[in-house]
Amino acid sequence: MKQIPAEDLLPYARRADFKVAKASELTGRDARFYRFLEIVPGLASWSTLIGIVLASIYWSFFAAYFIIAFAIYWVLKTIFLSYHVRYNLKRLKHHMELDWGALVERFAHDQFYHLVVLPFYREPSEVLDGAIQGLLRAKYDPQKLIVVLAAEERTGEKQVALASEMQAKYGSQFGNFLVTVHPDNISGEIAGKGSNVHYALHAAREEVIDPKQIPYRDVLVSIFDIDTVIYPHYFNCLLWHFMTAEQPYKSAYQPVPLFTNNLWEAPALSRVMAMSSTFWQMIMQERPDKAATFSSHSVSFQSLYEIGYGQANVVSEDSRIYWNLLIANDGDFDIVPISYPIAMDATAAPTLWGTVVNIYKQHRRWTYGVENWCYIVYHFTKNKSIPLRKRWSIALLQGEGYWSLVTNPIMLFILGWAPIFLGTREFHQTVLSYELPILVRNMLTFAMIGLIVSAVIALSLTPPRPEGHSRFKYVVMALQWIMVPMTMIVFSAIPGLDAQTRLMFGRYMGFWVTPKRVQS
Amino acid sequence: MPQEPLIKGLSKRRRTWFFRSLLLIFVCTLPVVILYTTGYRLDIFNNETPTVVTTGGIYIDTENTDVQVYLNEEQFVRPRLFQSAYYLQNISAGNHRVVVQAAGVHTWVKELPVYSHIVTEAAAFNVPLVTQLRPITEYQTATGTVVYFAVDEQTVLRAATTTEPMVFATSTATSSLVLNPEYEFVAQLFASSTATTSVFADNARGTDEFRFMTESELPATTTATTTPRIISRSDIELVDRGVELYAVWRGQPNNIPYYFCVSSTTVASTSERYGEHVADAIFEPSIATSASSTVYSLNDRTCRSEIKLDRLQQDVYLYDFFPGVSNLVLLHLQTGLYVTEIDDRAWQNTQSLLLGDDFLVLIENDLIYIKRGEYLFELLPEIDSN
Repeated sequence: MKQIPAEDLLPYARRADFKVAKASELTGRDARFYRFLEIVPGLASWSTLIGIVLASIYWSFFAAYFIIAFAIYWVLKTIFLSYHVRYNLKRLKHHMELDWGALVERFAHDQFYHLVVLPFYREPSEVLDGAIQGLLRAKYDPQKLIVVLAAEERTGEKQVALASEMQAKYGSQFGNFLVTVHPDNISGEIAGKGSNVHYALHAAREEVIDPKQIPYRDVLVSIFDIDTVIYPHYFNCLLWHFMTAEQPYKSAYQPVPLFTNNLWEAPALSRVMAMSSTFWQMIMQERPDKAATFSSHSVSFQSLYEIGYGQANVVSEDSRIYWNLLIANDGDFDIVPISYPIAMDATAAPTLWGTVVNIYKQHRRWTYGVENWCYIVYHFTKNKSIPLRKRWSIALLQGEGYWSLVTNPIMLFILGWAPIFLGTREFHQTVLSYELPILVRNMLTFAMIGLIVSAVIALSLTPPRPEGHSRFKYVVMALQWIMVPMTMIVFSAIPGLDAQTRLMFGRYMGFWVTPKRVQS
Repeated sequence: MPQEPLIKGLSKRRRTWFFRSLLLIFVCTLPVVILYTTGYRLDIFNNETPTVVTTGGIYIDTENTDVQVYLNEEQFVRPRLFQSAYYLQNISAGNHRVVVQAAGVHTWVKELPVYSHIVTEAAAFNVPLVTQLRPITEYQTATGTVVYFAVDEQTVLRAATTTEPMVFATSTATSSLVLNPEYEFVAQLFASSTATTSVFADNARGTDEFRFMTESELPATTTATTTPRIISRSDIELVDRGVELYAVWRGQPNNIPYYFCVSSTTVASTSERYGEHVADAIFEPSIATSASSTVYSLNDRTCRSEIKLDRLQQDVYLYDFFPGVSNLVLLHLQTGLYVTEIDDRAWQNTQSLLLGDDFLVLIENDLIYIKRGEYLFELLPEIDSN
């Protein structure tokens, strides 16, 4: 694997600490500072939760006022986010109806290639077939697609053979079909999707792009989870947004992940979590200045090349790649939401308990994205070329995001009642003590209107009912949203707190591969 | 087909406008909601110009879900948040009469003081008008049905109120029946009991003949030379001294139940809000209760450690806590068996469980046994209280 010449990298990306993943990779003051940053999120979350309990016991009135303020904030936040989801739904549906092939015709785009990286682990052939056949169904010239099926050496011969089998089966139908085998135990990497993609991009350049002398600026890279099945106009839609972006080479392109491949087979719990993730990404589509890349996304090869393809030593590689790009480009890098769907698998397992465990682990991995906050803040103190206001804005916004993810559900559904149970006798005598639970209940009930909106939107995004599934399941799909208060605590707050606590104590997580269930 | 998508992403300007609007709502709503939850209300009906008034509340604890609660003759609807209680909101400061009633049970009535921003607590109880008495007979059938010998049904039913099946045997043959060990146990308890003796008898030792007497009539040395009988539950003791019964708080001052305390600070206001007897107990404890009563000051409340129980000016044969609770007392008086509350604000509600002077009462392991004539019963204390 040839290293990228340093002079090809952006100046900031040449720094030795550019791809830092944890405090132990640094020395001296930098290491101590980074370690401090790793402690901050967990400390802030735990302090908040413990603080509310203590305030409820010793300063019950203050805690009650805080909870009232928080309940009102939550209702307004629900309205705010619901507005974004509903708006994006309109845009998403409009984009799904457009003929993007016709739209891109006004641009000269024949020179562009799409490099599709499909990293996989132990997924069965059906999952690989689904992803590759999705590429073939795309309304795009397959000869302009460079498909890289990225296997892992550590999974053994069987999976490598499966990749070769796929190459034999589909290779001739694409412009290029490359199989890479990411070696095990490369120094400085952690096993996972990030390191596999990193290796695959190196290989694609060496084996396809450079030999064919394709300009890096003419290659759009789409890094897809292996369960990603694209919608037919994905590449045209991506290309249109690339051509119309303010700064196409300083932008990452984010589709909307719809976890619908196995939605009809997945249990209700899994559907709620999957659709909740989709809703969050729909919200982010309308707030691109607050977003980062998530899961499957696209970006120019030139951009990736200039930062050495991102990091191979982090868990949350999908978001980290954006932060790498933002920091290396001195803050001048955007997220362009394309509001076009890609279909993925909802996390599920053959048993309900297995599903619960898988969802928990998946969300713990996602919320371990808090490691990115340490990275961002660390480099914000180093890269003074990024406007100060932007640095503060991003640091606070991202920090608040990870803090609220963990604390808000617990505060709302559990600690909101703490002053009532833990408050002083003087507090218990007051009208405030009796009105507080009534107010919190009413606020939560009002916020539940958001769940009705969610149910309606989720049903509108549900694929057509396959054979063998009762119509009654639509009712279940509507009613399943009552689980949201529970899922917010069990699958957002607790795994988030778990992840932050691990980071706080330096018990760094590895990459846990979410098992992909076979699509029916 | 359009040349470009017709729906653009949300503009930053629109998002900012929306955010600022919600922020404005938050800033305006928060103080209003805080004022509301602390008891402030905008009165637009009782005055020509709208004015802000302060209110308090009353919290009535009652396990019975079928009762109706009236405040000053007006019925309140149960708020769903409190499954076993009523929370009466928006009540102006002053004294208010609360009535808790239902068909088939005694009515609980209390006049309670309400202060601005404060919720006054009370626990209502409603004893059934007809108490269930479960017969306990010496013999039972193999299936556990009680058996009476040589007695007609009317005689037993005059003594018992039960829906349980009974067998009235015409013969005294017992070969097909089984002995009831409970009967033997209860009969032994009654054999060794002093259920017909006044609890004040020991206190009055030395007098010619015990009879109900006032405290002033009681020899001064009597109470000093006797050891009061003490019954304890949840840090509350029931004790007889002289010819009175007291409920005494023995726990930490901070944990003292609300009914031992008042929120007023003067004799006049306490007398007006809680009753003269409470004012005396707080401000003149040595006269109103007993020498051992103490008065605590807890922040904005004043609490006494003793409350005198209302024994309806009758002699007391037996007293104990009502099974399962510590705020109600069971009193076997001359005219029957009663339940009274310790809470003496305004007055103590006393409700009859079983009227008459022809029965004995025993309490064993929170079970109430009745002996009426030669018949034994267990009194089933279905009560709607907490």
